[in-house]
Amino acid sequence: MTKDGAPALRMDSVRKVYPTGDEEVVALDHATLTIDHEEIVALVGPSGSGKTTLCSIAGGILSPTAGTVVVAGADITGYSARRLTDFRREHVGFVFQTVNLVPFLTARENLLVVDEIGRRTGAPARKRADQLLEELGLAGRGRHLPATLSGGQRQRVAIGRALMNDPDLVLFDEPTSALDTQLGEQVMELIRDEMNSRGIAAVVVTHDERMTHYADRTVHITDGVLEGSPPR
Amino acid sequence: MIVWKEMARAKVRFGLLIGAIALLVFLILFQQALRDGLITSFTGAIEHQTAPVLVYSTDGRRNLQSSSITPELAAQVRAVDGAAAVGRIGQSTLSVRAGGSITAAAVIGYERRDLGAPQDLVAGRYPAAEGEGVANETDASEGFGLGKVVRIAPGGYPIRIVGQSRDTNLQASPTVFVRYGSWEQAVLAANPDARKPLPNALGLRPAAGVSPDELVARVNRLNPELEALTRHDAATKAPGVAQVSRSFLVIFLLYGLVVPLVIGLFFLIVTLQKARTLTLLRAIGARSRTLVWALIVQVLVVVGLGIAIGTLLYLPVSFLRVGSIPLQFDTTAVVGWGLGILALGVASSWFSARRVLRIEPAEALSGGGLGA
Repeated sequence: MTKDGAPALRMDSVRKVYPTGDEEVVALDHATLTIDHEEIVALVGPSGSGKTTLCSIAGGILSPTAGTVVVAGADITGYSARRLTDFRREHVGFVFQTVNLVPFLTARENLLVVDEIGRRTGAPARKRADQLLEELGLAGRGRHLPATLSGGQRQRVAIGRALMNDPDLVLFDEPTSALDTQLGEQVMELIRDEMNSRGIAAVVVTHDERMTHYADRTVHITDGVLEGSPPR
Repeated sequence: MIVWKEMARAKVRFGLLIGAIALLVFLILFQQALRDGLITSFTGAIEHQTAPVLVYSTDGRRNLQSSSITPELAAQVRAVDGAAAVGRIGQSTLSVRAGGSITAAAVIGYERRDLGAPQDLVAGRYPAAEGEGVANETDASEGFGLGKVVRIAPGGYPIRIVGQSRDTNLQASPTVFVRYGSWEQAVLAANPDARKPLPNALGLRPAAGVSPDELVARVNRLNPELEALTRHDAATKAPGVAQVSRSFLVIFLLYGLVVPLVIGLFFLIVTLQKARTLTLLRAIGARSRTLVWALIVQVLVVVGLGIAIGTLLYLPVSFLRVGSIPLQFDTTAVVGWGLGILALGVASSWFSARRVLRIEPAEALSGGGLGA
């Protein structure tokens, strides 16, 4: 349950269909998934299985074709694009696989960018950014540009950015795919510790089964169908 | 923050664009000053004289020196209804010895100070006696300074410069305004065998309740051998002025194409290069409007700095002379071009803004969409 008692994520019979010419491609087929407060779920599946689509819908980046999506008690299914944008900014944290940091901003500024695109709280945001950097072991790296940070440090900055808005749900898209095994393990451990210590639910998209033991639960997806989803 | 940080950390990239815009602004302002200076040096004496309406002979083709008003034509004009005052104006280009050398100068004689003399003086006084004249202030360096005596060559008729006016040249030559009688004597001194010269034009002042345009229309109905023009039309429709204006207009239109192309292409390239960053920002909750506004702020800052630097480059140059053409710092031109270039800059960022608006936040995730 989230802070107000609702699950962090509840997806009921969610479908996502992409029209391609005269045909339709079903990327997600009646997916049903509930993630509790503080729960970390590893979403595992091969390329093209629909895990990124599921993650996008859960985070309000895409809208479902059918079904219901409730994040932290808010039914975002019918939200307009603009409302979804605001929702993402205020309630969801993202750590992406490839495009993660703004290259011309320092580590600290990459965290503060969340405040800048939002309500601009100023001093409290700066305090929170400094605190997060310290907690993530990056206190001495705040003024560094992403290009001067190691892969692991960049991921930590991205995690810090994802936590800046005090989210109800954090979505990790293949967070270890660009890292070697040892660094990947460290990042997964960090994700688990940070999420647990803050009581935030998370979905970790991965195709690497070795990383799943850091999650509380592993959900497999194949051809857009979640394992364990109730039959249509 | 993002806007400033990006510019601060890509100084060379944005600096080059600012430099390019500054250069374009400098060239535009310089050529504008050159055009204005060129036209003023050719027709400033007409534009800035006191007669609201000038009447030429048609065969003079709006060229003061080529026009000639016979006594019969003058009598017709003097009788026209709506003219409060009529005065003769004569003009000749004569060889004048000034400052130790002989130069071609335009000598303009006016019968009445309110019909053909310079509108204002910047120094000295108007001629009070024959043999006194007013010269353009920029001709002082050529021997036409206040208190100097220039002499018609040949003949030696002396003209003492007792006043200085501004922007009152004719045919890009040193120009001296004298009383009508002085002009006649100067012409006869230069050519003793000639008959008493006819006036080249008539200056008219409309009666109360009659506009210059109405008076022009009435005079033009009198006789096809007469052509009346308002002061402004006489200046802008003088032979060659329209051609000069058109030539510069073509140049300015080219700038109107080049400026938005340079700015638009630059920002489009920058936008394409940082498409992944913009996608990331959209994905984490930045509104499209926020990103477009950031783009517009960048355009305004870059173009604004370019205009400021271009104007600073133009400032010292605007006090120079190009040959016999004096340049001037024209605040109206600076403001007008500045606003115009800013508007063109913002308009040219439309393609970049469209690209920003089309960004799909889903592209931030691996695979970014279909079935991933």
